[in-house]
Amino acid sequence: MTETLGAPIQGVTLYSFTRAVHGREYDLESLIRKVAADGFGPGLEIIGFSSFRGFPKLDDAFVGWFRDLVAEVDLVPTSLAINADVGIRRDRLLTQEELVEYMTPQIEAAAKLGFSIARVQISLTPDAMEALLPIAERTGVTLALEVHADQHARHERVLALRDRYEKIGSPLLGFTADWGATVKGFAPSLIEAYRRRGASEELLQAVTELWNQTYQDGPPDNQGEHGKRFGAFIGLAHQHGRPDLGIDFGINGTGLFGPAPVDGWLEIAPWIRHVHGKFFGIDENGEEPSVPVRELIQLLVDIGYTGAISSEYEGWHWNYWQSPFDIIRGEQAVQRSAAADAGSRMVTDPAEARAALARHLAQPVRG
Amino acid sequence: MIPDRIIEQGTLTTDGSKATVEVRLPWYRALPGSSISEVGFAIDGVPAQAESLRWTMNGRTFRLDELATELDEWWFPTDSAVVSADLPVEPGEGEHQVDVELKLYIPYIVTDQGVLRIEEHDTKTMKAAKK
Repeated sequence: MTETLGAPIQGVTLYSFTRAVHGREYDLESLIRKVAADGFGPGLEIIGFSSFRGFPKLDDAFVGWFRDLVAEVDLVPTSLAINADVGIRRDRLLTQEELVEYMTPQIEAAAKLGFSIARVQISLTPDAMEALLPIAERTGVTLALEVHADQHARHERVLALRDRYEKIGSPLLGFTADWGATVKGFAPSLIEAYRRRGASEELLQAVTELWNQTYQDGPPDNQGEHGKRFGAFIGLAHQHGRPDLGIDFGINGTGLFGPAPVDGWLEIAPWIRHVHGKFFGIDENGEEPSVPVRELIQLLVDIGYTGAISSEYEGWHWNYWQSPFDIIRGEQAVQRSAAADAGSRMVTDPAEARAALARHLAQPVRG
Repeated sequence: MIPDRIIEQGTLTTDGSKATVEVRLPWYRALPGSSISEVGFAIDGVPAQAESLRWTMNGRTFRLDELATELDEWWFPTDSAVVSADLPVEPGEGEHQVDVELKLYIPYIVTDQGVLRIEEHDTKTMKAAKK
């Protein structure tokens, strides 16, 4: 633990509002204006391939329009989420050299748009991250590889990256910590969604119990163990006569609700450059019933974290009956309350956030 | 992911022998043509033959086997693509059941079984407009 308490920057990723954008209720401009007006910032995260047509090719007029809009509404671009599409070809996976080439224009796009971080993904090996470092140095964009369920901070792939980062010693290489890796229960709103799809109470109880068993067992440390768990969820759906729900159980049970302990993040704490405040819903008590938001905020304050947290609501996959805007508002209230309980606060002033983010990203990892 | 959004209500058209319908991406981010693995299209339970299926996006029309190597044209999440096939249906006031199945590769998720392929299906009932 450091002597100085952290004060994380509040923010949101537009991914939280996917259902509204996909349904053509908001376009990029009206959504950004809504985020600013409702006070979900100041931090703003965007997924390149979701929000920018033609990404990563962007013309200068569009880039100028975007930067002017963000400046006008006084939001702070934090992370541009970019994708390591290693499986883009049908005949084979991209080589790591090809993947480095594929990532380069996306990192350049982050810089042009004014994002100081690019969220990258787990298909990038330590060698590939090292190969991307010159691009990060040239553009000034920090590369924050997302630690996302089914991986977690003590997974062998993540530890290999951390060890390489330590050896290289650049402040431009780090991690995005996704809270979905450290979940404590199967989301009740997803159970409700399966109920609405006609799943029996017996099956719903069995799914919950299977997930609770994986939580007791702890997170998988390698891909083989992960595969076995995925298979167990599919098997359960078949046993209960609902094979159509099997892949959904597997994807959600292993890929959304990761069962790692919260203190596992300490393994990579100095390299956490960005955080995805992944969550799935807010209950009648105003709390997140499956993601331990309060413990996670306490941990970030304790380790002196001064970067941004993008509230990332993922319950929209199945929850069509509640407003994502109300749910984000509720989760950010929990974050602010938890930060106060931890003896600190969330940064919500845009100018203060801008300065804090610049300091956070410039400091050496072993400061 | 949001499979109920796949078929755009009220977009079924026909010239008597060929039918078209507009479809939405059941995913949150743009995917290239190469990610579109299989497309199923049926009207009133009669499935289209794969060789007669055509896929139109960004103003370009593809056979399914041509999509496999298509890395330049991307399906943006707020765009409708158009599926067409040789399927006889009469225009008019009659209601028709439209079924669309999409199998999509998700290029950044690789499992022990290879690149993740999702399978999504939608069914809606609508009238067929004369083209």
